[in-house]
Amino acid sequence: MLHSTLLSLLVAVAIQAPVALQPKHEDIETCLACHNNTSMSVTLPSGETRGLFVDRDEFTRSIHGGKLGCTDCHTDITGVPHASKPFSTKREFTIAYYEACKRCHFANYSKTLDSVHYPAIARGDRMAPVCVDCHGAHYVTPPNQPRSRISQTCAACHQGVSATYAKSVHGRALQEEKNADVPTCTDCHRAHDIGGPHAPGWRLKSPELCATCHTQSAMMKKYNLSTSVMQTYLADFHGMTASLQKKNGTEGGQVVALCIDCHGVHDITKTDAPNSGVIQANILKTCQRCHPGATTNFSSAWLSHYEPTFKNAPLVYAVKVSYMILIPFMIGGLVLQILLHLWRVVVNR
Amino acid sequence: MRSYVIRFTLEQRIEHASVMTLFLLLALTGLPQKFYEETWAEGIITLLGGIDRVRWVHRAAGIAFTLFTAAHLGIISALVVTGRATMSLVPTRQDFLDAMQQIRYYLGATDVPAKFDKFDYKQKFEYWGLVLGAVIVISTGLVLLYPILATRFLPGEVVPAAKLAHGNEGLMAFLVVIVWHIFNAHFNPDVFPFDTTIFTGTISADRLHHEHELEYERLKETE
Repeated sequence: MLHSTLLSLLVAVAIQAPVALQPKHEDIETCLACHNNTSMSVTLPSGETRGLFVDRDEFTRSIHGGKLGCTDCHTDITGVPHASKPFSTKREFTIAYYEACKRCHFANYSKTLDSVHYPAIARGDRMAPVCVDCHGAHYVTPPNQPRSRISQTCAACHQGVSATYAKSVHGRALQEEKNADVPTCTDCHRAHDIGGPHAPGWRLKSPELCATCHTQSAMMKKYNLSTSVMQTYLADFHGMTASLQKKNGTEGGQVVALCIDCHGVHDITKTDAPNSGVIQANILKTCQRCHPGATTNFSSAWLSHYEPTFKNAPLVYAVKVSYMILIPFMIGGLVLQILLHLWRVVVNR
Repeated sequence: MRSYVIRFTLEQRIEHASVMTLFLLLALTGLPQKFYEETWAEGIITLLGGIDRVRWVHRAAGIAFTLFTAAHLGIISALVVTGRATMSLVPTRQDFLDAMQQIRYYLGATDVPAKFDKFDYKQKFEYWGLVLGAVIVISTGLVLLYPILATRFLPGEVVPAAKLAHGNEGLMAFLVVIVWHIFNAHFNPDVFPFDTTIFTGTISADRLHHEHELEYERLKETE
């Protein structure tokens, strides 16, 4: 009884929460009475000029148009005219409104607390991005439309990596072919709880990121790519070690090659591209990065993600088949002799 | 004739105990590497402190096993060449006939079991199985331990082939020991529950008479 009462109470609270926000159209017009003036601005103590104009049409077209009123975010404004704000720089103004989004977008806001950007914000780095830096403030539109916009958003700060990505097989397909399958920044690094190579466990987890797409047969078929890349990697020395280290949490042991070490990270190319690290002409150099002293024969020890067959690796295939026959034959024969032996013992009695 | 006969020297007993320990250690650290995707394998690896440590132990034990094998083969060869060791473990035509006779006996086709000398065909089979298996796991193990060195002389395909052969040969050796050796040394009704000969070095005259009749007769004559 007590439980069901508590439960219905919880449900009631949960249902009621969003109702607290009702669109306040009248607000907009009240504010726009002043703020629709394109030349309206304020000069801050830093010398910067902060424009105070809000475009009615563009706001209406934005994702919040018709849903939110000005004071839903500018909660500190309670009357007209209102007092000027005590900010000395434009950035200070932006940071001050940092938490305005969390009233509605609490889940995504909480995720940002796990983001690689958050520690920078927390230690007072004013350049670290907050919600509006990626999403905009008054004119928020879906950040992934078109999808190529995502990497451009990140490029605002991460120019180097973005330029490298734009030249990669994924980046080019995204920009030039509007390809919807290729990963963009957020597919690997995530959008709100953004992670990167500094995050603990990130390195050993990275093969899973590649596997997200490269084990999907329907998608890979379109590009004539094999889905056995992950399985063949895991069956080999490198993949087995990496997966066990990840499961055991023994990162920091023997460093082994992951997908990214041979194929690249942001600069991934087609495997047959002339600058690919895994094309026959370059693979020895790639091996030598970890195995100095390796010779051409050494790199051919890796069967290039192919399952051994009679055609591509006759020796490996022969060994495999031999033991598939030998082991059951041997053990079966021995068990049979043991059974006969015991049977004779029973008969003798 | 005394009530027991010395069958193994102290050195041979120490050798057996060492190889047994190394074999168990190698199986414990090797099989989970072959079956690393299985839950039990993962459990063993975690229990032993991670894949890097498991590999270290496996390699150390492997090197020790290599040294034992090399010493064994070297000493045996030297003894045979200088005529101080008999060829009692070398398989002969008689062993083949013994095996046939014994199987006919098991099947009930004859009531006369084969008579054996110092080592019967089963023991010879096991000894040479171990030697041959050791040669395979040692050579492939060295390729896996020193792949860069190996591929200076050998084609690259040797490395994945060695990996498959090493794991499969190890598995087969383990299964042979579990099935055959454990039966012969423990569950065989003649010795149940425990054939202590390889640890004490002695065998009772009765057992010798029963299991190695030809040797028994020979020893009796020379007395």
